[in-house]
Amino acid sequence: MSIHSALVKTEEQKISIEKAKNFISSRDYGAESIFIGRVRNANSGKQVTAVTYDAHDQAVLKSFQLICNDAKKKFDNNAKIFLEHAKGYAPVGAISILIAVGSGHREEAFKICRFILEEVKHQSPIWKKEHYADGKEEWLPGHSLRPQKQIK
Amino acid sequence: MKIKLKLYASSKFLSDNDILNIELPNSSTIGDLRNVLGKIISEKNLKNLQNLHETSAFFGEVDEVISDNYKLKDKETISIIPPIGGG
Repeated sequence: MSIHSALVKTEEQKISIEKAKNFISSRDYGAESIFIGRVRNANSGKQVTAVTYDAHDQAVLKSFQLICNDAKKKFDNNAKIFLEHAKGYAPVGAISILIAVGSGHREEAFKICRFILEEVKHQSPIWKKEHYADGKEEWLPGHSLRPQKQIK
Repeated sequence: MKIKLKLYASSKFLSDNDILNIELPNSSTIGDLRNVLGKIISEKNLKNLQNLHETSAFFGEVDEVISDNYKLKDKETISIIPPIGGG
């Protein structure tokens, strides 16, 4: 198995860096690239305390598989890829997304990591609601999956 | 006919439940559903959802985007997909 992808329910478990490292580790690879996205404590001048992630589970898992397969075809068919994203309430500092790639060479490892991150942001139906220090909360604007020319 | 609309993220302001039951004339399309949602948003004065019916996509039962011409079926369940932004 060269791809692991999952949505991790934050109330049940945490995304594990060790699990990712173990998954991609191989003597065949000269490069390991790991991207960790975390909940930041500020956005647009507001003090953020946490983010709640919502997701269309089935479509997200389907998109993760497609994106990882695409990345392998595009950059390195022998790469190993670990991709997990949080779902639910995540306080500041918590891992929101973890992408780990094992590959023969650094260039492919970096490229796959970057490609997956950008594609997840543009294809996977995941949403975030920020919680602020003043008690307010807000769903953040995002990228529409409706063709742009059709939007009035 | 009646359809079930599964709600995600900001669209959950449309209902107290995660599913909104909507009654539509027979042979209605996704485009017609957009108009109905626009009316609901305006009637409920949901200012934070003002353009949601325009910017959202809709998934059918196989979790893929369906076009505005798609004809809805009685008792069909579809999902509203507001603009996304994970990571």
